[in-house]
Amino acid sequence: MAMRQTPLTCSGHTRPVVDVAFSGITPFGYFLISACKDGKPMLRQGDTGDWIGTFLGHKGAVWGATLNTDATKAATAAADFTAKVWDAVSGAEVLTLAHKHIVKSVNFTKDSNCLLTGGNDKLIRIYDLNAPDEDRSVRLWDRNTLEAVKTLSFDTSVSNMEYLADGDVVLITYGKTIAFYNAHSLDLIKTVDTPANIHSASLHPEKEFVVAGGDDFKIYKYDYGTMEELESYKGHFGPVHCVRFSPDGELYASGSEDGTLRLWQTAVGKTYGLWKCVLPEDLVSENPEPLYPVPAEIKA
Amino acid sequence: MVIWRKCSEKPRYLVLDFLKVNMKTPMSVLRLPRGPEPNSRGFDPNSPRFIALCATSISASKESETDAASLQTEQRARSVMRERFLRCLLSMANKKIQFHMYEKVTVDATFGASDIDVLNFQVSDLQTPIGVQKEALIRCQDVISYSFDM
Repeated sequence: MAMRQTPLTCSGHTRPVVDVAFSGITPFGYFLISACKDGKPMLRQGDTGDWIGTFLGHKGAVWGATLNTDATKAATAAADFTAKVWDAVSGAEVLTLAHKHIVKSVNFTKDSNCLLTGGNDKLIRIYDLNAPDEDRSVRLWDRNTLEAVKTLSFDTSVSNMEYLADGDVVLITYGKTIAFYNAHSLDLIKTVDTPANIHSASLHPEKEFVVAGGDDFKIYKYDYGTMEELESYKGHFGPVHCVRFSPDGELYASGSEDGTLRLWQTAVGKTYGLWKCVLPEDLVSENPEPLYPVPAEIKA
Repeated sequence: MVIWRKCSEKPRYLVLDFLKVNMKTPMSVLRLPRGPEPNSRGFDPNSPRFIALCATSISASKESETDAASLQTEQRARSVMRERFLRCLLSMANKKIQFHMYEKVTVDATFGASDIDVLNFQVSDLQTPIGVQKEALIRCQDVISYSFDM
């Protein structure tokens, strides 16, 4: 019998959640960082959503957050004109990189040695984290004349991008469209049109599904091969700002204007993390493990 | 999702189809995700991950050849400074303190207490340009220095 999706709501933020990122798979599981307009990005256990710690130090809304592959470093981008690098194990601030305007996005290179930042100053900067004070290690790229790389232009502003290193795919969302490009040639692979303005989308690590969220508060799930809409889920009480798949593809996280982060199962019905598959007959029998069939108010 | 049937068929099947489609068993959960602790910033030092990976902030230990002696000296110095700071906080209780803050702001207040992470100071009778605030919280990151008579 088909099971109904029960999203897990992670509360704790007091303002809209605008960015979410997962780490890679580490010996301690995988982790999730959420950026929030309350200025306090949080680190959570990736498969359960359990809070681990809050990075304190930014003096403004945090617009972007990221973790390196082994979740030992975190980086955040904020409206206080700085990007900060943190020790993701102790929560301590390691580095502050001053910018000339609001910083919107941050990302580590795969080897964690460099940090890229982008923001309202219309520049993408690369910092060598081993020598961030040396000016010669910072390279500036003009947004319109990216050297040696093709430039893509759109009629509507680009809301979000995701780069799948292993799949060589770049996912770009703009307006009501989700587009997939070859990461090396920037040739268009395929697009899909959605019912609402999409703020963010994510491609499953094994390229089976695409999940997206936007202005209509819903989360959409598409089959990547056929681009057919498989499911849509209601649950958030505000526009969805960010959606990301976990590194193992078993769940995806969504952050919203409503100040919450929700975790959704990719395969509803599977026992994973905090989700437990319980067949109707088991609910009646003597069961030592405390299982909670979800009350009506919390259902998706 | 509602399934509409042709009007020639008996209406009672409409209700049963509706029930069948909407009575999917909701996925059970073991518990809800744990939220943040109200008074701490987290990063539990007793967690297995912290113990295994803890990058200490002691600069001496970052070097590849850890000199045990210099590490000990540094640790001792840190302990002394920390103890001195905590004693300072204790002696500040109920005294009039002058806080020197950013934007050339200086305010007087009677010190109450600090929170565990030294993020906020609880003060009374905060003298501000727009009046006296009977009870207030001063954000420590806004404070550059403070002075008082012991």
